[in-house]
Amino acid sequence: MKKMIWLTTVSVLFLVFVVPAILASALKMIPVNIQPGYNSDIRLSIYKIRGFSQKFVAKTGNLTAIGTSIRNPNLKNKTDVIFSLYDNGNLIRTSVLNGQNLEDGSFVKFVFPVIPDSLGKEYIFTITSPGAGPEETIEVFIISEPESTSGITEYIYEEEVHPGGIPLVSYSQPESKLKTINSVYSSWLSRLLSPGSQKSG
Amino acid sequence: MKKLLVLAIVLRVLVAAFLFHPDIKTFNFQASFLKKGVTDIYSYLIENRKTLPLKEEFVYFPLTYFVLGGYQAIASPVLGSGFDAWLGNADSNTAILNPNVFRYLLVLKLPYLILDISIAFLLLKFFDSGVMGKKAFIIWLFNPFTIFIIYAFGNIDIFPVFITLISLLLIKKEKLLLAALALGIAAGFKLYPLLFVPFLIFGGKSTKEKVLLGAIPFGIFGAISVPFLSQAFAQSTLISGLTTRIFNPGFAVGFGESIIVGLLLFSALFFGAWLTDKKPNMFNYWIVILLIIFSFSHFHIAWLLWIAPFVVILVVKKSFLSWPIFLLATASVVIPLLYQDRSMTISLYRAYSTWFDLLPTPFNAIERFYDPYNLQSILHTIFAGGALTISYLLFRKEKTQ
Repeated sequence: MKKMIWLTTVSVLFLVFVVPAILASALKMIPVNIQPGYNSDIRLSIYKIRGFSQKFVAKTGNLTAIGTSIRNPNLKNKTDVIFSLYDNGNLIRTSVLNGQNLEDGSFVKFVFPVIPDSLGKEYIFTITSPGAGPEETIEVFIISEPESTSGITEYIYEEEVHPGGIPLVSYSQPESKLKTINSVYSSWLSRLLSPGSQKSG
Repeated sequence: MKKLLVLAIVLRVLVAAFLFHPDIKTFNFQASFLKKGVTDIYSYLIENRKTLPLKEEFVYFPLTYFVLGGYQAIASPVLGSGFDAWLGNADSNTAILNPNVFRYLLVLKLPYLILDISIAFLLLKFFDSGVMGKKAFIIWLFNPFTIFIIYAFGNIDIFPVFITLISLLLIKKEKLLLAALALGIAAGFKLYPLLFVPFLIFGGKSTKEKVLLGAIPFGIFGAISVPFLSQAFAQSTLISGLTTRIFNPGFAVGFGESIIVGLLLFSALFFGAWLTDKKPNMFNYWIVILLIIFSFSHFHIAWLLWIAPFVVILVVKKSFLSWPIFLLATASVVIPLLYQDRSMTISLYRAYSTWFDLLPTPFNAIERFYDPYNLQSILHTIFAGGALTISYLLFRKEKTQ
């Protein structure tokens, strides 16, 4: 019986205090911002030569992915969706997804090799689907104003420049596993111990 | 004993406060309408679906709604003024990052703690021998399975489980009519205790008692359910998990007909009890019914709680089964953790960090080198084999004793 009590005590403590550290250490990237809210009725279509360009300021170093929500109505697009990242007009990263892996309205991440010195730099990325016809269009959602947490400033669509852009989430590669674990526990403890959080009222 | 109890409570509080399954927020959101005077939650949710932030139906039976809603009303001073807004917040990120989430989880799971500890005391009383009772008490309090299943998943099945155990205790004390009453009340929370009724009938000494033992649980269940009978009620409760999963067809016999394996074995058990067993041991039949369900249906992890008190009794009665049952319990908990459902595993830890949303589920991780469905099937088949052997041993031993 004593063994069982010990085993269960250790198992529960492991579940509550150690498993979060294991999960944190398995993170290969972490989000820099929460996805900004958007109106799902405001969208732009992407197919053939009709691409989409976004200018944004990276809010993190070690940028390694950009995520956003994409519509693929009736899952018709089964062609490549190409993400290209430019720095001062030079193509520095590309990431390709296939339309058949894009569920309609799902949040999609374009992952690319890490850019170490990305913090504060201005980049442009394009999203295109040149193999898609008008019936296989994909759609991105649009915010019509610049948004500071995600860093979006302006976008280009059909050669016209507009303020705002897509509701994006930037991802950075963690500096070290230890820092990520520390961040997870700090966030958890700060909410647990935040003034008044455990009092009613 | 007191120190052990304190330790058991501390362990439970830790899991209750920090592990989060979204179902607890959903059914408490639904139960919160009791405070606003809604009695027929089934129709209300369907009629107001368009305007409600959470669109799910209430899949439990009426007593669950009234008990949860009543508890919320009592606990509202502790839960605070922001609680209802939190319940109705459909944004899973802001809801989980709310600094009050730990208090909400703890308060919402407090009734489970009370019933969980009460089950430990019922098990203590179940045995005539003090030593065996104490063993059952400790096994219940210090097995990792029930702590995980009750508190990580916010498992409201603890209500019918507690009442079903009372029913078993009443059978032991030969108070069969009260046991039948308890089963009817338990079914007012969840349907599964009605599966025990056909076997309870065989415990009756006269035809009149047998009729009453059959009629009372269904009568109580009917009295609880009839006021809510509607298409919405049927759609929400009767067509939900248990009935559809248990009666899942097994193998085809042609022309669209199938033999339902779980029901086949249930029926064999029923007729076996009727035709061959002059003095049926209710405990054996009840545990075997549940073993059949778990062996031949795609079960939810919460359902495993139904069998947990019975398993503790079995392990205390027949200690040679301890290790085989530990292995089968491990397999039965692992199977649902392999389902393609984030909330079964990684998402339980969202209260720590929403970054964990980026991690693959065990299903996705296994998928990279092996078919996870196949792994589930292997584990489930092993479990079913072990469960059938234990069922056989229960009845064989019973006859030779």
